[in-house]
Amino acid sequence: MATIRLEKLRKEFITDDSKVVALNDVSFEVSGQEFVSVIGPSGCGKSTLLNILSGIETATSGKLEITEGERQARLGYVFQAARLLPWRTVMDNLLFVQDVRDKETRERCQRYLEMVELGHTGKQYPSQLSGGMQQRAGIARAFSTEPDLLLMDEPFSHLDAITGRSLRRELHELWTRTKKTVLFVTHDVTEAVELSTRILMFAKGGHLVEEVTMDLPFPRDATSDEVALARADIMRRFEALDLVAT
Amino acid sequence: MSATTLRRPALPSSGAKLVNVLKANRSARIMSWISLLVAWQLATLVIPSELIPPPAQVLEFMWNEVRAVTVAPETLYMSFGLSFERLGVGLAIAFAIGTPIGLAMGMYKPVEHFLHDFVVVGLAMPSLVWALVAGMWFGFGNLAPVITVTLAAVTFVVINIAEGVRNVPKELLDMSAAYGVSRWRTIRHVIFPSLMPFFFAALRYGFANAWKGLVLAEVWASTSGAGWVIKFWYDAHRSQGIVGYALFFILVAILIERLVFGRLSNYVFRWRATTSREIPEPASEAPAKEGA
Repeated sequence: MATIRLEKLRKEFITDDSKVVALNDVSFEVSGQEFVSVIGPSGCGKSTLLNILSGIETATSGKLEITEGERQARLGYVFQAARLLPWRTVMDNLLFVQDVRDKETRERCQRYLEMVELGHTGKQYPSQLSGGMQQRAGIARAFSTEPDLLLMDEPFSHLDAITGRSLRRELHELWTRTKKTVLFVTHDVTEAVELSTRILMFAKGGHLVEEVTMDLPFPRDATSDEVALARADIMRRFEALDLVAT
Repeated sequence: MSATTLRRPALPSSGAKLVNVLKANRSARIMSWISLLVAWQLATLVIPSELIPPPAQVLEFMWNEVRAVTVAPETLYMSFGLSFERLGVGLAIAFAIGTPIGLAMGMYKPVEHFLHDFVVVGLAMPSLVWALVAGMWFGFGNLAPVITVTLAAVTFVVINIAEGVRNVPKELLDMSAAYGVSRWRTIRHVIFPSLMPFFFAALRYGFANAWKGLVLAEVWASTSGAGWVIKFWYDAHRSQGIVGYALFFILVAILIERLVFGRLSNYVFRWRATTSREIPEPASEAPAKEGA
């Protein structure tokens, strides 16, 4: 379980004739077995935040710490699209991101594939899997590195409603079982309410405007009244800020 | 749930069957070759055999060549063997030079701008010019044909590799970076495989252009090889030799395309989707369980 600490993190993109602020002095802390969702309208800097946390991009200014005790935390990343190497089998895709590729690692990868019900697909190529199965392979890959922190960038937004619902359930079970720290970016408020222990609300211009603690008991049913009420509450907060989520 | 009645379609008549067979793609292709043979045979009735040899005469010539029965100084196997040696060496040099240049062009804009015009000129240059220039510079021997092959192929290598570098999927590079995958593993497992389609394009186009260039170079600037043997038959006024050797060129090109490039490509790109190999969805994604 990792700790993420951000202090006045800022990201600016310089285009030919203007400067775009993607993250505007964002500060927050996530630690322990938390499942924190980041929600907000398109262009509020959600994905940029994950890219900076994962090291794909660098911040313009501010302070960022991702630690596990005294050491640097290990990260796993689940992307919007599965981002599997199409020319490698499912098992090789999991092995690709491992530091060590011995028998033990292979067994661990197989175990995570089985956890997402893909135990029989290790020798298949991604093109032979459905979209939902590919995304599950992506989730298995992220867990198979045994990360301290799991970053997820709208992982279910490309999937149909039924598959998405099934995967959300599997993700919740995996999270409960593995006790990882998760930072989950989504534009789907219901999804955030269903899965999170805390929700960070972002607004256009990269502002972190509010934090909401979700204390509904797990497991949560997306179609229940409690989730619907919590969703309505979040939407009202956005409306009050005049920043309706899209 | 709605009910639909399926009717058994009426069986086609034998006349309709024949029309269907004739309309099939494979039949059309076979018919085109038969038409060519018929037209060829008919042409020999009005045109002297010194100009157009009858198909039977060409086939006899080719059969003799296959059995290494020939009056030419080189048998079919010697001449094509030597030409392939030159082609192989020339292509290897073209890839050895073209790959780093292509990588540099794909990665660095200034290099692309610096070399752009030369690449365009290289692509537009007929192989004949390379053959003549190489012959002029290096005279008779192995060097001129090899250099011709290299010059005729290198631009195709450069342009395809550069395009390949520009098309390396950024999302996969980002994924590798997010997981902290080492640079060498990223090159080996992400960059190199994504370059493969472009590498194959370079190989195919480079081979086709180099093969034409090689034959010309052997006609003009060599005293051996398949190109030179076709010239031998030309000088000997044996039209069946010229046509027969031309057919060998075509056959060899088709064989290389099908047996070497085709199979290699099927192996390298075996990961590409084929519907017959798709595996079924696991039960967990079935709506029934969702509703449970």
